[in-house]
Amino acid sequence: MSRPVIAREDGLTIAMPKGALYADAAARLRAAGIDVPHDVGRRLTVRTTDGTTLLFLRPTDVPAYVEFGSADCGIVGKDVLWETDRNVAELADLGFGYCRLVVAGRRIDRYHEGAPYPTFLRVATKFIRSAESFFAERDLPVELIPLHGSVELSPLVGLADLIVDLVATGTTLREHDLVVVEEVAESTARFVVNPVRFRAKYDAITALLDRLTAVPA
Amino acid sequence: MRLPAGVRDWLPHELARKREIEQQMRAVFGRWAYEEVQTPIIERLDVLERGLGEETTELLFHFNDRRSTALALRPEMTTPVARLVSTRMREAPLPLRLAYVASVFRYYEQPQEGRMRELTQAGVELIGAAGIDADAETLFMAIEGLDEIGLRDARFDINDARIVDGILDGVGLDGDAAREAKEHIKVRNLVALRKFERPALVEFAQLRGRHDAIEHAREICRTPESRAALDELHVMLDRAEALGYQQRVTVDFALLRDLDYYTGFLFEGYVEEIGFSLCGGGRYDSLLPRFGFNVPAVGWTAGVERLLIALERRGKHVRRRRHRVDVLVAGSDVVAARERAAGNVVRYAGADLGDDALLEEARAHDIPRVVIALNGTVRELRVGPRIGDLPVPRTPSNWDAR
Repeated sequence: MSRPVIAREDGLTIAMPKGALYADAAARLRAAGIDVPHDVGRRLTVRTTDGTTLLFLRPTDVPAYVEFGSADCGIVGKDVLWETDRNVAELADLGFGYCRLVVAGRRIDRYHEGAPYPTFLRVATKFIRSAESFFAERDLPVELIPLHGSVELSPLVGLADLIVDLVATGTTLREHDLVVVEEVAESTARFVVNPVRFRAKYDAITALLDRLTAVPA
Repeated sequence: MRLPAGVRDWLPHELARKREIEQQMRAVFGRWAYEEVQTPIIERLDVLERGLGEETTELLFHFNDRRSTALALRPEMTTPVARLVSTRMREAPLPLRLAYVASVFRYYEQPQEGRMRELTQAGVELIGAAGIDADAETLFMAIEGLDEIGLRDARFDINDARIVDGILDGVGLDGDAAREAKEHIKVRNLVALRKFERPALVEFAQLRGRHDAIEHAREICRTPESRAALDELHVMLDRAEALGYQQRVTVDFALLRDLDYYTGFLFEGYVEEIGFSLCGGGRYDSLLPRFGFNVPAVGWTAGVERLLIALERRGKHVRRRRHRVDVLVAGSDVVAARERAAGNVVRYAGADLGDDALLEEARAHDIPRVVIALNGTVRELRVGPRIGDLPVPRTPSNWDAR
């Protein structure tokens, strides 16, 4: 039952988010002196010339890899940290990947202009934990509808009264005649580390942290 | 037929490994003159809340009995032992050295490896002893404990709960702001700490090292309590060094353990490749007074399953003994009883089996002897290898076949 242990090597193992954050994350690591290849193709992992191991993961999986120590550290959006609630240490706000988690509704419902919410709110979202705590703090009873994609469709077809979703530019909302009703939180990319690995690889991790935060955002 | 989430079965070979670790830990406790105690799995909810604080209630499996008494499964052993000592052992000469190996229960919403709902803790409490000698005893016993099970490169971070208060005071935070900052230090959330706009706080949360790190912290700490704690950490490092542990003991000022009863010295042990700590402990002088018994105390505990994970990841399986059964006996209770009385492990076989079947069973279980008692005669068969298992003799015809 013994498992291969990648992260015990001397160099750091870094969990990288594929998708929207990848280009900025790779650029920032390169600026910090890590030789991140420009084209990784379909590989899941790469060993760089400087002895760093990179794991290419779905963003939502980054916290789990870091919490279990399969990666020493990683780059991930704050929005993912809210949702996964993993035990990782948040060492730096890297500034890029800005987006807002918002409550949005149909323009014609006028919630954004102060129209009262229905007594039993139905809220569709991919961000269950965040939505739950947001409405709980306001003492609003809601029925959360977990969805996995195209959340903006749900109010248009009557599945939900409101959605809780990430907004970067607002284009998607506008295209569907949806408007922001309330802001839940702002998110940017974070440099996170496994709590034990911070101690065990203190010199390497603090050196990388210093280089990552020295770069102007 | 499914198990609830977060609990597990232990098959014979798995349990044998777990028991071996538990025995090794017990041996270490015994060498340090600790005596084992046992407490009930169920405690009254108010007793646990008195020890742990009400905010930990969500960590508990709690329920009512039929008279509506609120009960809970113990989530750790320090509070039950504190209850035991303060109610049953007040007259005993101090200090008391008590040990336990016990299962504890935690309600995790999402159980996972290293965070199971039922886990086994092996630990000790040193009750009625204040001061650095008692603190050092727990740290050095923990190091020997991890050495004993084969984790000789385990590292230990030490800190003192009084120091963070000195730092917060030194940067001018108090009240809610100080409490909030402390939570962020505990999980080393530097992003949140930067928002306090006190650079020393962020620096402190990253500060690790040895004597130099202690001196660095002293530049910020003003309170007499935190300065005394820094002095003690110097002494602790010196004492660790005298035992040859200089590479294994480091000061980490962000080390604040989860439970809120710690008042002084703190430590955690870990190995590099496992993402969570293996053992930890510290001083909790305010706990026994909560039970009306005004004595200081210090203790530590190890997660047995976590130790197992660490050993298995290294491929260091605890050895399995072969020849676990000494003799296979067929046909006679008297012969079997005589074998057991002689100290042998005896396995019964069906009296209706023939010699070949008995030999087959013996080979399958690595049993070296077979004794058959039939019709008043007792025979012993020699268990040799099966013909097919014998090495093939090298003859000219198979030399080339390899």
